[in-house]
Amino acid sequence: MENEIWVFAEEYDGKVRRVAFELLSASAKFSKKIGAKVSSILLGNKLSEAIKSLTPFSDKIYVLDDPILSPYTSEAFILNLSNLIKKHRPYLLLGGVSSTTKDLFPRLAMNLKTSYAPECTSVEISEDGELLVRRPIFGGKVFSELKFSEARPIMITIRNHTFSVDESLNKSAEIFSIEALKDSTISRKKVIGIEKVKGERVDISEAEIVVAAGRGIKGPENFKIIEELADVLNASVGTTRAVVDEGWRDQRDQIGKSGKNISAKLYMAFGISGAVHHTLGIGTCKTIVAVDIDPNALIFNYADYGIVGDLFKIVPALKDELRKVVSSG
Amino acid sequence: MEIFVLVKQVPDPEAMIKVKSDSELDIENRYFTNFFDEIAIEAAIRMKEKFGGKVTVLTVDNHRVDALRRGISMGADEAIQITDPLLEEANPFAISRAIASYLKDKPFDLILAGRQAMDDDAGIVGPAVAELLEIPHVNAIVSLEIDPQKKEALVRREVEEGKEIIACSLPALFTCQKGLCSPRIPQVLNVMKAMKAQIKKLDIKSLGLNPNEILGLKDIIKIKNYISPPKRPPVKMIKEDFPENVKILVKLLREEAKVI
Repeated sequence: MENEIWVFAEEYDGKVRRVAFELLSASAKFSKKIGAKVSSILLGNKLSEAIKSLTPFSDKIYVLDDPILSPYTSEAFILNLSNLIKKHRPYLLLGGVSSTTKDLFPRLAMNLKTSYAPECTSVEISEDGELLVRRPIFGGKVFSELKFSEARPIMITIRNHTFSVDESLNKSAEIFSIEALKDSTISRKKVIGIEKVKGERVDISEAEIVVAAGRGIKGPENFKIIEELADVLNASVGTTRAVVDEGWRDQRDQIGKSGKNISAKLYMAFGISGAVHHTLGIGTCKTIVAVDIDPNALIFNYADYGIVGDLFKIVPALKDELRKVVSSG
Repeated sequence: MEIFVLVKQVPDPEAMIKVKSDSELDIENRYFTNFFDEIAIEAAIRMKEKFGGKVTVLTVDNHRVDALRRGISMGADEAIQITDPLLEEANPFAISRAIASYLKDKPFDLILAGRQAMDDDAGIVGPAVAELLEIPHVNAIVSLEIDPQKKEALVRREVEEGKEIIACSLPALFTCQKGLCSPRIPQVLNVMKAMKAQIKKLDIKSLGLNPNEILGLKDIIKIKNYISPPKRPPVKMIKEDFPENVKILVKLLREEAKVI
């Protein structure tokens, strides 16, 4: 019997990121098979809202609420997490895929001399309690199944939307407030500020729906129609390397090998030919729609639904059609 | 400034890669210097051009040194290859240990690496090396300014909400993200020079490492087996004329895929 499954409940501005609830929901299922408690690990400052949101999803919440933990720095987080983990040695430490976990988890794993499997697309516990973890390598051309030593915790990050949120959970977590540690390493780094992106859209790696256009959009000004479609769906807007290299869109919106992996429920690609570079970044999207003028475009090999046609006609018509449906509930 | 750059030769994203057996892959012989590592090399060379000093490229690889030659052709001064049968199929933790044991007594100001290697896509080695060397690190930087007098770097890193600006004391390790700079295309003469450049080879023993430590780290996480990616169902092409095709698409997304 394993003791605890820990979920790193990453927060921003006091609000817990959605992926934490996905991981807590999955952990609730795992815990039934191995008899472990499910704990949220929450580090930050001014966390009362965050605690409230995690309570129905967790058996325990370990809270470290201190100004030195906001904004995130690897120094303050590793000092505190490493100390907490060594005290409890949980079975698993799960996290979402984010800029914070990409910065934190590898270093924490090295600190603890424990395993870390990044950006997994599948985590299961079999009926006899065996942990099955799968992650894409070579951009998803191959998957590897992993074997772990006895070192604890086994650290895993999991792509957004791999699990769904179980809204029926109604636990009432026990809360453990822990005083944050400080040491001299913390002064090595100082977060001076953040240049925020304009607009309200969530990052493409977190978005449930992503609509994207490639070079077929013909110019940066034409992204307006893609933006309007995104507004109707409450989607985020992605693009290809070619478009970014042309300087038409910011690199943060780039999907693919040198950009971001997305794992949206719905991905719509307009005027995207489907170069390997791009398709490697969309492998874990659930439903893919492709619209391109070229019937031989490679993107159709990866899509669930395809239309050969002119995006300048289809996108506005699709927006109007969707508006009817979405507004009618 | 003393700068080290961690580099790796990896399969080109266009290379064919297939599962041969549970424990073996069939990888087409098309390799290139990891995209993000070239950005790291370029950033290092620019720092050297500005402040003087030396750039050393370092790889852990038993088979390929092309990334080191690429570094030399772009302007790096020295190249180090850590190679040892014990490091064959080593995980990033064992590799980090080998790199850190080489660097631990070197007088460096800055270590740069790519955001991740385009083979295992793990992004572990950079931060793990920083941990072992007990120096700060920042992941996925998109800008870098150095103040050599104050021994401080000002970097920007990409986060979900925008770009975070961080002041970080040196020595430090940064992993490099697209957007930091564009790697130069080396001149033919420099490419030829790089072909003949001396590469210093080091093994586990000469690094003063205990083989058992490497074996222990290799055991932490291993690949049990390889599997082919799940096949997507064949595409459903909507062949009706416009605007009927748009109506059908929306109906399918709602009623069949149930995603809107």
